[in-house]
Amino acid sequence: MEILLLKRLLGLNKVIIVRMNLLVEVKDAPGQLVAVLEPIRGLGANIVTVIHKREAKNEQGNVPVQLTLEGEKENLSNVVNKFKDLGFSILEINGTLDTEIISAILIGHLVDENLQDTIDRLNELEGVFVNEFNIQLSEDNKSAALINIELNAGKEELALGKLAEICSEKDFLMINNV
Amino acid sequence: MECKIILMGFGSVGQGIANVIAMKKDIIKDNYDAELKLVAVADSSSSAICQEGLDEQLLIDTKKNKGKLSNYPEYGSDISGIDVLDAVEYDCLIECTPTNKETGEPAYSLTMKAFEARKDVVTSNKGHLALRFKDVIDAAEKNNVQFRYEATVGGAMPIINCAKDTLSSCKIESITGILNGTTNYILSRMTAEGSSYEDILKESQELGIAETDPTADVEGEDAACKTVILANSLLGVDATYTDVEVIGISNITSEAIELAKDAGYLIKLIGEVTPTTLKVSPRLVKKGSAYDVSGTLNMATIKTDLADEITVVGKGAGSIETASAMITDLISILKLKK
Repeated sequence: MEILLLKRLLGLNKVIIVRMNLLVEVKDAPGQLVAVLEPIRGLGANIVTVIHKREAKNEQGNVPVQLTLEGEKENLSNVVNKFKDLGFSILEINGTLDTEIISAILIGHLVDENLQDTIDRLNELEGVFVNEFNIQLSEDNKSAALINIELNAGKEELALGKLAEICSEKDFLMINNV
Repeated sequence: MECKIILMGFGSVGQGIANVIAMKKDIIKDNYDAELKLVAVADSSSSAICQEGLDEQLLIDTKKNKGKLSNYPEYGSDISGIDVLDAVEYDCLIECTPTNKETGEPAYSLTMKAFEARKDVVTSNKGHLALRFKDVIDAAEKNNVQFRYEATVGGAMPIINCAKDTLSSCKIESITGILNGTTNYILSRMTAEGSSYEDILKESQELGIAETDPTADVEGEDAACKTVILANSLLGVDATYTDVEVIGISNITSEAIELAKDAGYLIKLIGEVTPTTLKVSPRLVKKGSAYDVSGTLNMATIKTDLADEITVVGKGAGSIETASAMITDLISILKLKK
């Protein structure tokens, strides 16, 4: 996760992160799995899951490796090109799942108005996940928080709508991205 | 050609007009063959009226040193308000009385009276336009007169004429921008210094950047009037002040600004105009983006169908700056008459 985390820390908040499922075929021989994973490093993609299905060996003696990668679109496309260059057989590039992160600042009595409830109600939405809630308490008791919400594609309106509803109900000022 | 002007309102902008006319009248005469003459100038309770033309510098000195224009040598008068329009022959009304967003007066009555007398009008007043835009435009059309209002939005920043004339091939899809200089100044200083809203507001008042009663600025009302004018004039939306969702900046804390800053954002009071949304609210903008303008500057990004996005930046207030937009409007009218 280092690259994505670094970009987030650098304030590049609206990094469009794409998740991609790849089905790659490799020879059932020592070192082949490492040979697939090795090129991913350095191309700006992160490995989310690796499923090495040795039991599913085909007639040619090849086994499928199911990979889920996460990263910016351009970087993932570099991975695919690299695999092709190296002669790996790509069986499937599954439907991609776009995710993005949106930020908002909330001002109000954030703690008194049940902080956990605010986060839970957002997390209840499908494809919406609060991945950061950075709160600063203030002398006059009105606190401020930066909230980062990870979203699947097309969920921005849903998430912002819910956040606006919560803010209106709890009398928070919501400051979202222009 | 002579262009006889009645100037209604002699505060900061009105005096700016007198200054700019003094500075530019020779050039305007050379370039447009028009001799600008202030035939009547009115402050809130009196006026100076002379069919042969008043002296611009003497008007400013009289106001500054003697308080009221009725003290103007020889031509000072107690005639005030709408009656000034009956007291003298004129071609164009330059109207810069204070904005009143509750009634739109005295701008509305002055403008309507001028239109009915078939006179052109240039205004910096937002009140009547935020409340009755369509009525005013319809009246100008009906009477076949020119009506210009560039100075109502963004002071010296060209936006209305820019979108209407320079981008005339394009459909304007939306406008998003910083439409109030005072709030931009307060938020910029809070960001730079980490100080509280109350402290910076107080200092801004001492510096004359914020008014003694800062409500119109800090509660977003001024920016809201501007979104209404932009919606009507550039997007063809028949909107009025009550259609705007308005949230000001008085609840913004230094902690919120700090959190935004750490995440690469700034907090700005943003006006948004789309065919379906009229909104003024504090928003996060990215550092280094087109919205990252500080101090009293205004900016607006105009989204168009053909030219994509055009961003303009400029001084949103100031005596000479606002007057520049109004005299530009006047020159546009003179060009049509030539």
